[in-house]
Amino acid sequence: MTSSAAKPKDSHVLRILVIARHAFTQLVRMKVFYFLAIFAVIVIASNFFDLPQHEGPEAVGVNVLRSIKSWSLGTMTLFSVVLSIVATALLLPKDVEDRTLYTILAKPVPRFDYLAGKLLGVLFLVFVSMALMDLLMTLVLQIRTSAVLQQQIHMGQQLGWGPEEIARLKQETLAQGSTWSLQAGVLAVFIRSSIIAALALLISTFSTSTLFTTIISFLVYFIGHFQADVRDAFLHSESGGQGPVARAFALLLSLLLPDFSLFNVIDSVIEGQIFPLPMLEKLMALGLFYAVLYTVCSWFIFAKKEF
Amino acid sequence: MAELTPAVEIRDLVKDFKTSFRRQPLRAVDGVSIRIMPGEVYGLIGPNGSGKSTTMKALLGLVAPSSGSCSIFGKDSLQVDSRQDVGFLPENPYFYKHLTGAETLRFYGKLCGLGGKALTARVAELLALVDLEEAKDRRIGGYSKGMLQRIGLAQALVQEPRLVILDEPTAGVDPIGSRQIRDLIFKLREHGITVFLCSHLLEQVQEVCDQVGIIFRGKMVREGRLEDLIAIEDQTEIILKDASPELIAQITALAGTSLIRTGKPRTTLERLFLRETLGNDS
Repeated sequence: MTSSAAKPKDSHVLRILVIARHAFTQLVRMKVFYFLAIFAVIVIASNFFDLPQHEGPEAVGVNVLRSIKSWSLGTMTLFSVVLSIVATALLLPKDVEDRTLYTILAKPVPRFDYLAGKLLGVLFLVFVSMALMDLLMTLVLQIRTSAVLQQQIHMGQQLGWGPEEIARLKQETLAQGSTWSLQAGVLAVFIRSSIIAALALLISTFSTSTLFTTIISFLVYFIGHFQADVRDAFLHSESGGQGPVARAFALLLSLLLPDFSLFNVIDSVIEGQIFPLPMLEKLMALGLFYAVLYTVCSWFIFAKKEF
Repeated sequence: MAELTPAVEIRDLVKDFKTSFRRQPLRAVDGVSIRIMPGEVYGLIGPNGSGKSTTMKALLGLVAPSSGSCSIFGKDSLQVDSRQDVGFLPENPYFYKHLTGAETLRFYGKLCGLGGKALTARVAELLALVDLEEAKDRRIGGYSKGMLQRIGLAQALVQEPRLVILDEPTAGVDPIGSRQIRDLIFKLREHGITVFLCSHLLEQVQEVCDQVGIIFRGKMVREGRLEDLIAIEDQTEIILKDASPELIAQITALAGTSLIRTGKPRTTLERLFLRETLGNDS
């Protein structure tokens, strides 16, 4: 018991990073990355969902590119949402049950640092997972796009198309491949799962079981897709029967629950349309707002919690 | 000489837990006061559900007192910085099974702001102290109960705290493991570290503690120096050196030149405990 330890550094950021890194390692060692193998199978399988074409060269193989994007982004959404909810819902109750939380909070660790670290660890895991999925999707899409392009150019030349028409064809086909808009779409999927993870964290601070947290989080996720409709029904109803209480309720609902219908822009990216930059900025602001809001609310509840 | 700040100061601690709707709250701790000076080894004993663990949790800020206060080296327990000087080993601890012994200590060390070579050296030192050097690269999931307790004790010591709180440190540990932990507590005392422990193993508490408190149904029923508590007040003990039979025969009449020490014969802590909690005098 010599005095070998140097003067400890008291930094919130360092402590949050230590907990985040630990949560990430914990989830990785729970073998969560195995789902990447399933993703690989889905992306490769989506190569074969090409319906026969009877139109001009511009339509040849485009469906398969859309199919790859659609299946990939769909699987990314599924995995990221499931991972965000389940991993977050699992970490807190497990620490309480195993009493490891006692040993952590008995150290000079503020409760906010613990929560923020856990959330950051889950988000880092989702980010790494999505980066790997994105890499695989981009790779498959690149290979397939160049194959489709060759096929189209060959057909176009056979039909006697001029260089200008072929250049336009090339441009249109490349827009269906791996574009910056597609990458923005992947980022939007990540932002959505970040909101869901922060929400699951909030629920797990007062929930009594992992199952409850998981079910409620999924429920809020689905409600979030209809939030805008509900809000509009309350605020812009022509029946005139909506009093100030109902309006206040609608406003509160729209503040507390994110409007996930905004993320439908991802579908247009699959169709090959451009992801507008202002929309991406709006989604980033929305994600940051809800992640911070839910984390701060989690902290208020967790700070008062007794173990 | 300035008065020393107590390592632990619990004043009139009351802790009520809410029960189901409309029922009276459950009073787990009822007006408990404990004062432990630096370097002392204090043992809190009591039956299951008597409020020992709640008292410790209140001291660590894991539960908030309903009334009263707890402080560690003068700092309020509800403040995070009071934990800079504390190491805690909970009852039946489970650490992260996916980490190895060395990784576990590194993790807790980093939480305390340690890092670099200092942390590496500290981890090696602690692994040697708790005799787990050979198992340092094995995952905690494969550790025996005794090994878990020892790695738990090592994590409690990682930031070189001045106070160590041990909740049933030998629960479920075999006699050899139990003796190892007892020896570690002796080492802590030798290094001037204050120890606050609760245990069911009264023989062990008697062996290592300077001060003892007996808690029963949330109230402190007896507290004081161990030597005083286990003294039998209505008897006197006389210890003689090389007493001849003739001398022994004359003792009652003459307590003379060979008298080395007089004092009270001791009962055992176990007997005292049973008398105080169950009223059993046998």
